[in-house]
Amino acid sequence: MRRASRSAPNILRRVVYVAAVVLATAHARAQEAADYFRQNCLSCHTIGGGRLSGPDLKNVSSRKDRAWLVKFMLDPKGMIETGDPYAAELLRDARGTVMPLVAGMSRQRAESLLDLIDAESLLDKSQFVGITISDRPFTQRDIDLGKEIFVGTTSLTNAGPSCISCHTVPGLGGFGGGTLAPDLTTVFERYEGRKTLATWLSAPATPTMQSVYKSKPLDPDEVLAMVAYFQHTLQRNPEDASTARLNFVLIGLGGAVLLLGLFDVFWNKRFRAVRRPLIHASKLEKTHE
Amino acid sequence: MNVRSQISMVFHLDKCIGCHTCSIACKNVWTDRRGTEYMWWNNVETKPGTGYPTKWEDQEKYRGGWEKQDDRLRLKSTTKFRTVTDIFHNPSGASMDDYYEPWTYKYADLFNAPEGSDQPTAMPISMVTGEYINVEAGPNWDDDLGGSPVYAANDPNLEGLTEVQRQQLFAIERLVFFYFPRICNHCLNPGCVAACPSGALYKRGEDGIVLIDQKRCRGWRACVAACPYKKTFYNWSTGKSEKCILCFPRVETGQAPACFHSCVGRIRYLGVLLYDADRIEDVARSEDAGLIDAHRSMILNPHDPAVVEAARQNGIHDAVIQSAQQSPVYKFVKEWKIALPPHIEFRTLPMLFYVPPMSPVMASSEEGMVKSVSDDFFHDIEQARVPLQFLGNLFGAGHQAKVVYALKKQKAIRTYRRALTVGDISMDVARRMLTEADCSPEEAEAIYNLTSLCTFDDRFVIPPAHREEAIEMMLDPHEHRASTGFGFVDAPKRGL
Repeated sequence: MRRASRSAPNILRRVVYVAAVVLATAHARAQEAADYFRQNCLSCHTIGGGRLSGPDLKNVSSRKDRAWLVKFMLDPKGMIETGDPYAAELLRDARGTVMPLVAGMSRQRAESLLDLIDAESLLDKSQFVGITISDRPFTQRDIDLGKEIFVGTTSLTNAGPSCISCHTVPGLGGFGGGTLAPDLTTVFERYEGRKTLATWLSAPATPTMQSVYKSKPLDPDEVLAMVAYFQHTLQRNPEDASTARLNFVLIGLGGAVLLLGLFDVFWNKRFRAVRRPLIHASKLEKTHE
Repeated sequence: MNVRSQISMVFHLDKCIGCHTCSIACKNVWTDRRGTEYMWWNNVETKPGTGYPTKWEDQEKYRGGWEKQDDRLRLKSTTKFRTVTDIFHNPSGASMDDYYEPWTYKYADLFNAPEGSDQPTAMPISMVTGEYINVEAGPNWDDDLGGSPVYAANDPNLEGLTEVQRQQLFAIERLVFFYFPRICNHCLNPGCVAACPSGALYKRGEDGIVLIDQKRCRGWRACVAACPYKKTFYNWSTGKSEKCILCFPRVETGQAPACFHSCVGRIRYLGVLLYDADRIEDVARSEDAGLIDAHRSMILNPHDPAVVEAARQNGIHDAVIQSAQQSPVYKFVKEWKIALPPHIEFRTLPMLFYVPPMSPVMASSEEGMVKSVSDDFFHDIEQARVPLQFLGNLFGAGHQAKVVYALKKQKAIRTYRRALTVGDISMDVARRMLTEADCSPEEAEAIYNLTSLCTFDDRFVIPPAHREEAIEMMLDPHEHRASTGFGFVDAPKRGL
């Protein structure tokens, strides 16, 4: 009797404890998936916010079965290459942009992401409907600010590095920007316009960009200015690129000639051959006679 | 007075027969390795001629040696700033073509050629590339070509000669040449040492031999450019520079250097000179006309008790001082004043001296026939076939006086000996000539003896190196006692 009265509250306590642990773990896992989604998916996808460069993921589970989805998430490019008809359709919709391999993606993570998407799909307004971006028309001021940010004359609020370190666009003057990363001239077009590009810039998803800007994101005004600038670069004459390349070659050639000239002046008293000219001169003399 | 000792040399050009035995001896001992084929630490040149490397005396081109600028000495080839800007390519460095591209012959073809109607030949191949080459230059390419319009006519020492003198030099009945053997001069103010960015060159304290430390040399070739005598060479195989080492392993063991030892004409003398190292810079800065006298004045009299005392205080061994007192070089240079430094206007203060050569007896043309005998026993020095200005340019910094003095003394001694042994010249004339030549009969006898009757030990007075004492400064022999037998402290490594 004494034992029974002692064990009843114990069991209850255990049940509560286990339930709490399970709930907490589930909650933690959901939170982790949400963070992951924000960092890696949100630049191209929304949940109920409409299409960006990737499709809206609301109710994605109803479109295709889970096994297929997991397989796609693990290797989008491979899936397309197998000739899967639905994957091909997705590629068409995305106008040829292939979903990149996402860093840290695993079967378990894909499952938890899908759980998250399912849960969010049920809500009226998901936390992932995407950022709201101002619709106001771009002004010259935006374009100028965008350019200043690009070349680094204006620093980013959160101290992120300026674009010119790795990227280039036409019309920068001098030797142009970096060649480490892609040319951004047509990035506005490639990212299908204002909303997509703005979203992408708010949380860049590629491994390189992410590692640089994850802790130093652009603020919304800066994003808008950059989008304005990239729209502006798109309108530039496409011939600019080829003139720039020609200029580069010409400056290179001119510089090389100038440098050689300077070398010649600096090392003017350098040793020139003695023996050959001596013999040559005497032979010339002989033929004159 | 900062007394130092230097192993110095005299080459008696009047005795040189141009046989190149010295060059071959040196080549066989030191430079028969890969990368050194083109080097001739000892070479024999025909003068007038352009020498090896071609026109090496033309410092407008080669930029070797020192020049005076605002009463300071500076290297012609480089400055501290230029050492940095020119570090990867020395703009004053000659190419191998200005020496010559060494070659051998493809002898195997003589044996392996298939049977045919022609004789097989051994074609010349480069010792650098191994390809067939057209041989068009060698280390003594103008050997005996005294009158060559290509080589002799371009001798830089012809500067200052009148047009008539030049023409006579190339007229067939007046053609003349003499030999000019050259090794490293082991200078007191060496340009090569001063130019080295790595500090790899040094002048040995005990005997003044200039050496390149093969471990420290980085192959910048600044020494090759800075040496006005072009006696440092770049080894293209090891990537280091090399030069004449005065056969120090031989000298240290009491033997004459290979080129000295093998000299057929016995033209070479070797001995210690004591000099005042404090005066080097002053002397090197003297005016051209006073250079030879200044150079001579810094060589000290080893019999002077004050000099001996100062030498002892500077750590010079008594045996070395004794050796200096018997030095034949001291006699030729300082007592008799008939040995002169080559091109002292390069201001490196060379410690190899030359007794200028007597020219062959004057020939003249009589009714279209060459008359090769002078009426006199010997022609006037001023009438020498080799113009005095030429010898002055070579041995007198452009001035003839010292050369004339040396030649007149030699002529007087010849006349004196002729009067003594043959008797067809009156002794009165001979004695008068001796007096005019600033020479006493005793001195004449001494010069005659050391020139004509000299023994091996007369010519080479090599100071004991006391290596057993030198090694005790670095190593304790007792430490190695009974722990080592025949062998080397440092395994010999040379070349590749």
